[in-house]
Amino acid sequence: MPFDLLTTVETGGCSSKIPPRQLEELLARLPLPVDPKILVDISTHDDAGVYKISDQMALVLTTDFFPPLVSDGYEFGLIAATNSISDIYAMGGTPLLALNIMMFPSSAIPLEVYSEILRGGYDKAHEAGVSIIGGHSIDDYPPKYGLAVIGMVHPDRIITNAGAREGDVLILTKPLGTGIILAGHRLKMTTPEQLEAVKLLMMRLNNEGARLMQKYNVRGATDVTGFGLAGHALKMARGSGVTMTLNMSAVPLADGAYSLAEQGCIPGAAFRNLDYTERETRFAEGLDYSLKMIAHDAQTSGGLIMAVAPEKAGELLDELHSSGHPEAAVIGVVEAKGDAALVLR
Amino acid sequence: MKTVDTRGLVCPAPLIKTRQGLTEASPDETVQILIDNPTSLSNVKRYLADNKLEFAVREEGDLAIVTVTRGAGGEISINETEYCTTDIPQAPSGSRNTVVAITSERMGSGDDELGTKLMVSFFRTLVLVEPAPASVVFYNAGVKLALDDSPVLEHIKELKERGTGIYLCSTCINHFGIKDRLPVGSFSDMYQILNLLKDADHIIRP
Repeated sequence: MPFDLLTTVETGGCSSKIPPRQLEELLARLPLPVDPKILVDISTHDDAGVYKISDQMALVLTTDFFPPLVSDGYEFGLIAATNSISDIYAMGGTPLLALNIMMFPSSAIPLEVYSEILRGGYDKAHEAGVSIIGGHSIDDYPPKYGLAVIGMVHPDRIITNAGAREGDVLILTKPLGTGIILAGHRLKMTTPEQLEAVKLLMMRLNNEGARLMQKYNVRGATDVTGFGLAGHALKMARGSGVTMTLNMSAVPLADGAYSLAEQGCIPGAAFRNLDYTERETRFAEGLDYSLKMIAHDAQTSGGLIMAVAPEKAGELLDELHSSGHPEAAVIGVVEAKGDAALVLR
Repeated sequence: MKTVDTRGLVCPAPLIKTRQGLTEASPDETVQILIDNPTSLSNVKRYLADNKLEFAVREEGDLAIVTVTRGAGGEISINETEYCTTDIPQAPSGSRNTVVAITSERMGSGDDELGTKLMVSFFRTLVLVEPAPASVVFYNAGVKLALDDSPVLEHIKELKERGTGIYLCSTCINHFGIKDRLPVGSFSDMYQILNLLKDADHIIRP
């Protein structure tokens, strides 16, 4: 019987983030480095930092790691690496190199699990064209794994939280519900097929999304992770100085997510995210409660939210559908800034 | 009365059992939920409030007993604002975009002693104003009003407790070398300060 990584944790993946409101307060106390070559820093709450090397090239840097969210070491490695690399894609970049970050209790878990996790990381990095050229491990319980990744992007083609424009249409590339399905799985409320489907979603690279964003000249995007669709959309709306309206009934959902939410299977992270968004969000009268909570479900290795000019949205959507993102959908619009930065209806 | 025992369960299981219990109980039956961890308690309370169910909480040591009383059909109109003020601190909507900019230690100019008195009086009055402002931004010599020996420190803390954001200009703090003497507020760069002022509906500058 292989070792079950889920026995080491109560929550995993991006559900394990520090509550967003507290994090913002803590980060606001740090002095921001001042350097004209820093093109993107944490002040806009972006996915990765960007540093200009020349007029032709900028480096994109990011890191992400978390405790297990699936039982199998190899699958955990695949998902953690996909999630780490995703921040490079969310900035419109091409990932190049990575370092492993591993915390592993060598006395508590068989060491084969360690090598399985790393094997997953290497395989996913290879698929993304990324070379892992080093890393660091420490003894710690429960285990945690992820990558620090460097990518590159043309300085004029950086895609940020601040790049959404009034009139743009919002596209989401992956269905929501990974947090809810994973929580449901731990309570034995999901079918094996439902679990398998969200694992595949979490292992799906956002590389095609990044490529198509550059092709269609998208300038505003982010990936959906621990703060949920609503949290990340809010950060984008704030960064861009606009109001985003999301039509929750158009949002693609992982199979089983809605019925689990309906039964009260709503992970604590969703409530934390709601605490974060509600001051700047208007929830339309009659918004379905389960959809409202799904909008706040913490996603691990989620899809991209892209703000695209309306005349290009149809073509971009078609190409996403034929490039491994069959569930991609138009989920909302970008409007001039109103009294709430985010509207869910 | 139906009892839902969630002791020993972690999130979201207590919520699922709560939901299940509410579905199974007859429409006007009272449902009692036993919860022994604070996170689940807070989420269950939030869930009940969001779904407009009336409830009361009694805490006995580590155990919380949530009693949900329902009328016919399970649909009860409750005093929603009560939950909003006790469980879910929210800025009252009218205050959302009022920003107070404190740019000096004194209110107005002319007589320094008078200016100091006026500023103290300004803060004493500001905490009484309904709704509380969305944020107070301190810059230039204004940051000194947030010092640990400031005559208005208590009022600033009170504003923060009422949900007002307290923002201190980090460049100014470094300039005066007072970084270690600021018990309350977030350090903010120009980007954040500018955004706060830019997005304000009203700016009050005493």
